[in-house]
Amino acid sequence: MFSKEAEQKVTGHSPRELAWRRFKSNKVAIPSLVVALLVILAVILAPLIYSLLGIDPAARDEGALDNRGEVPGDWNGISAKHPLGVVPGIGYDLLARMLFGARVSFLIALASTAITVFLGLLMGIVGGYFRGRVDGVIGRFTDFLLAFPTFFMIIALSAPTIERMEKSGLIQGNEARILYLIIIFAIFGWPYLSRIIRSQVISIRERDFVLSARALGASNFRILVKEVLPNVWTPVIIYVSLSLPGYLSAEAVFSYLGIGVQPPMPTLGTIIADSTKYMMNNSVYFFIPSLALILLVLTFNLLGDALRDALDPKSEN
Amino acid sequence: MNGLLAYISRRLGLTLLILLAVSFTVYLIFALLPYDPASLTCGKSCNDPGIIEANRHRLGYDKPFFEQYWIFIVGLFAGRDFGEGAAALHCAAPSFGYSFQQHACVTDLIFDALPVTLSLAIGSLILWLIVGVGLGIVAARFRGKIWDTLSTAFVLVGTSLPTFLTGLMLIVFLVIKLDWSPFPAGGYTAPDEDIVGWFLSMVLPWVTLAFAYAAIYTRFVRSQIIEISTEDYIRTARAKGLSDGIILGKHTMRAALAPIVTMAGLDFAGLLGGAILTEAVFNLPGMGRLSLNAVVDIDLPVIVGTTIFAAAIVVIMNAILDIVYAFIDPRVRV
Amino acid sequence: MLKGKKSLKVALATLSAAALAGGLLTGCAPANSGGTITYLTQSEAWTHADPQRNYTGMHIAWFGSYLQRTLTAYDRKPGAEGSAVVPDLATDTGKATNGNKTWQFTLRDGSTFEDGSAITCEDVKYGVSRTFATDVITDGPTYAIGMLDIPTDPATGASTYKGPYSTDAANDTASFDKAITCSADHKTITFNLKRAVGDFNYTVTYLSFSPVPKAKDTGDQYDLAPVSTGPYKIKSYKTNDSMVLVRNDKWNKSSDPLRADRAFPDKVVVKFGQAAEVIDQILLSDKDKTAVSLDSLLPTNLSAVFDDKGEVLAKYKGRAINVYDPYVRYAAVNVKKVNCLPVRQAIYYGKNFQSLITLAGGQAFNGDPADGVIKPLMGLDYAKTGLGTNDKDWKPEGNVEKAKALMAQAATECPELYARATDPKRGLVYDIADTETNKKASAIWIESMTAIGITMKFNFIEAGKYYSVVLDATKQGDLSAGGWAPDWANASTVIPELFTAEGGFPMSQNWDDAAYAEFKKRSDANLTQPDRVKQGKEWAALNKYAMDQMWVIPGTFSKTQEIWGSKIGGAFFWEPQGALSFGDLFIQK
Repeated sequence: MFSKEAEQKVTGHSPRELAWRRFKSNKVAIPSLVVALLVILAVILAPLIYSLLGIDPAARDEGALDNRGEVPGDWNGISAKHPLGVVPGIGYDLLARMLFGARVSFLIALASTAITVFLGLLMGIVGGYFRGRVDGVIGRFTDFLLAFPTFFMIIALSAPTIERMEKSGLIQGNEARILYLIIIFAIFGWPYLSRIIRSQVISIRERDFVLSARALGASNFRILVKEVLPNVWTPVIIYVSLSLPGYLSAEAVFSYLGIGVQPPMPTLGTIIADSTKYMMNNSVYFFIPSLALILLVLTFNLLGDALRDALDPKSEN
Repeated sequence: MNGLLAYISRRLGLTLLILLAVSFTVYLIFALLPYDPASLTCGKSCNDPGIIEANRHRLGYDKPFFEQYWIFIVGLFAGRDFGEGAAALHCAAPSFGYSFQQHACVTDLIFDALPVTLSLAIGSLILWLIVGVGLGIVAARFRGKIWDTLSTAFVLVGTSLPTFLTGLMLIVFLVIKLDWSPFPAGGYTAPDEDIVGWFLSMVLPWVTLAFAYAAIYTRFVRSQIIEISTEDYIRTARAKGLSDGIILGKHTMRAALAPIVTMAGLDFAGLLGGAILTEAVFNLPGMGRLSLNAVVDIDLPVIVGTTIFAAAIVVIMNAILDIVYAFIDPRVRV
Repeated sequence: MLKGKKSLKVALATLSAAALAGGLLTGCAPANSGGTITYLTQSEAWTHADPQRNYTGMHIAWFGSYLQRTLTAYDRKPGAEGSAVVPDLATDTGKATNGNKTWQFTLRDGSTFEDGSAITCEDVKYGVSRTFATDVITDGPTYAIGMLDIPTDPATGASTYKGPYSTDAANDTASFDKAITCSADHKTITFNLKRAVGDFNYTVTYLSFSPVPKAKDTGDQYDLAPVSTGPYKIKSYKTNDSMVLVRNDKWNKSSDPLRADRAFPDKVVVKFGQAAEVIDQILLSDKDKTAVSLDSLLPTNLSAVFDDKGEVLAKYKGRAINVYDPYVRYAAVNVKKVNCLPVRQAIYYGKNFQSLITLAGGQAFNGDPADGVIKPLMGLDYAKTGLGTNDKDWKPEGNVEKAKALMAQAATECPELYARATDPKRGLVYDIADTETNKKASAIWIESMTAIGITMKFNFIEAGKYYSVVLDATKQGDLSAGGWAPDWANASTVIPELFTAEGGFPMSQNWDDAAYAEFKKRSDANLTQPDRVKQGKEWAALNKYAMDQMWVIPGTFSKTQEIWGSKIGGAFFWEPQGALSFGDLFIQK
């Protein structure tokens, strides 16, 4: 994507600046970054948006429904009062529900990603750096985890695990359900990252700066933290930008199958699961939450691609 | 050749170990669940402790855990009798257990469901390979041009649309809204009964599943080709004046084949465990539905059987791929 | 989703009007033989196909039409005439002697099983005997156990006869052989009852009184392949997939006047496991013109078919109906757990009926607020209980003040339950089937209960497993959604069934309640009350008694909506079964 001249011009700059320049020159990078930041901002500041727009995720406006629970008109009651209309049957404000739902969905996706990254980094670095027996054990363990039918295990284990968590008395209801999703996503997620990190670390440990640090008598711990860790951020950043949308849509899928958070708490997934019942009858309500999910996933995917191109130009050139 | 044999036996040994570990873990996980497997064997009125104890004995749940697992493993190779004497139920090898809820050997249930899932997996594999590899090549050759952008758009929509939405929308807009649509809205027709009906019933599920996978393959093939074309021997070929088409066909694709085949093999193996969403949306009685319903009904023997079966396919496919590469590429054997 | 049962022989004026509007008179069109009727359902399989285990009105209507004959049956006619009992396998509707304690039926000549062997008295007797094997033959009606003159174990109250599979030497086969006797020519069957049952010929309309050939009985597995006695037989039955019926060539038309000229289609197919939305769309768009939905229309699709008042739109005239079904819907309170009247009353007053009914599609589709467990259509047995719209303190949107006052009363009267109900960590658990509509309903319940200080939690149970979970006393929560219809037009099939320990549907578990002893005494006495008018008054009084104790939180006198393809003819709502009369459907040429 980049001409040779451009490459030559930027020589002499730090790798960070190089990456930033490559990032800026990508047509979709900046728009997707802006959208992603806006979405994250909207999710964080959701309570502020509620009060600005005068909407409330817990309030039901039954005046917006007719006597059989439907929204009169063709546009799902979109108005100044309800910017995206209302949820048919029950009268919640759709925008408020989606913002609230997105908060829960993001919480699940972000926390799963964080744990995945922690485990993947730890296992990948340890395996890649120490090699030998440790590496072998970790390698076989990832093989072992990857052999499980992940999707199915998540469903099969949900009811009994959540029951156990609730019986422990430490955590109840939706908190237990959210925690379950986070943990199980991470357990089955980290092996993928750890493989990438491992191969990265294997090449790093043979590089001059690591060899010289070792020659100077630096401890393994010091080398790992000071030399290796800063050099594996690139795959981590790329991984995060791609796994975030992955977990967002996974949450939607499991909600569709009836696993996950229960009402009255919404997630993007439970709203979509409900909206599929209105595919023909109220297509505006059907399309809005699905489009929102697609847009979210699309944005983070585009951002991830742009980051990869910028941080890891080899994959393209 | 010795090196190859040694590699194969090492690889097979490892496969066996992983299989054992996976089956043991699955068995353990479900044995640790807060369910009484014996009282799950019958419905609500099964409050009669006599029946529950009889079934517990029949299914071997009265034995210590390790013995139960051992009997399960032996049953896989030698078949298994549940109960004694005339009332015994026999499941031939490979026996994955007996489901009292469905009154059938788990192996029979799996073999009933497998043709459906095979139909689904093979058809969509072909479809996504054609579309994915084709689009990937086009995108790589016309890098930065309109074709590349279009294929990127396809990839992004494909990866961001959950399968159940794709499937539901196909049913509504291609089956129900179109009067002349030849496709049924769901359900499975066996090919030996009605081959045309089978084909028509599978088209939309194939498209739904292939759509999601093709997107991943397009992206993967594109980056593979781009990466390979920077390698020296391709540059040399280009310098020799060979046409782009010949280079792509003869050199680049040959090099790209191995990773694509690996990925396709593993994805295919994963699918044989069941494409739960696609099967649910299109009402196909395959492995995914079998296991999903088993979970809903807490039909433990079926849950354990299908999970171990699915995991075994993935592990075995992994081994096959590795061994095939060992034949092709001697460096792997080290 | 609801435990189905049957209903009334009384004339239903409102229903007939709706029936006409629904175009039930399409039955006048010439009936055409041939073709395939396809039934669509969301269920993964039939709950049961074993005649002794089927208990839902819709299932009885379906299996009774195509596969299973009984001694007597309801007449297959629209309107009130459909609730008349007519002979089926028997030559008449039974002869009662000995003060209604002995009932005799004579079998028709020429009736056979699908293998051509003649149906004998012994086959019927064997079929009934299976009901007693409650460990194998689960979920079916237990009237035979309650009515036949067989001793009960004084300690457990269970019958001394344990069915044909029992290998226990103490199994009381002798008493069973005395309770049902067969004549020497194997044609006449005699039932000896332990108490007078004036309408026993209604009881034997149940499939549980249909014949089973002993040689073909496979116990539990008979549920997968029951032997047919009707005009069709099972060609294949695969759960998660389909059931296919073809014509039973051994069926003797002349011995089956009820079905003789009405076995129209050549083939009947049931497709299981279709998504609810897809079923509705196939029927709404008339994609499959010969399809019939076995499920009710989704509330979200009602407006496509009916107008605001619940009338069928012109486009769907003649292929959809909106009628009162025989059910009363309610929330059963587990009285063992919620053992405090003011708390139960607080839930009743605090409930937001208005929002719940709007969510379910509005009153025109979901029915009227109920004041008890007996529907006004029951005539003799119904009287206002003073609840619902007749209660000045009851408000459709919930009466928060009244409910809060009751909770304050509960705080002093039953501090322990009060503490649990109001504790955000514990609260009360409500069992409900796992559907999208119920998920939204739970949000409304939680909102209205929070307003009166009660923490309510929901246990969503997969729809197909719902009743097997909540009828298990060890698994039931504090409240459970329920629905019940009378088995025939006598509240003897309602009041004792719901509220006595021996009943078939005792979700209230109210037998430890202080008010139970008195209730039980009156209910038992009323079962043998010979004067039907007095009996009806007493059922009405007991209905009010149960409501005063708030053993259930009343819900609705409900309605149902059915839809079928444009080429289906002959459809009408078969009132006693609360379902379409499936056996009368044909393909219009």
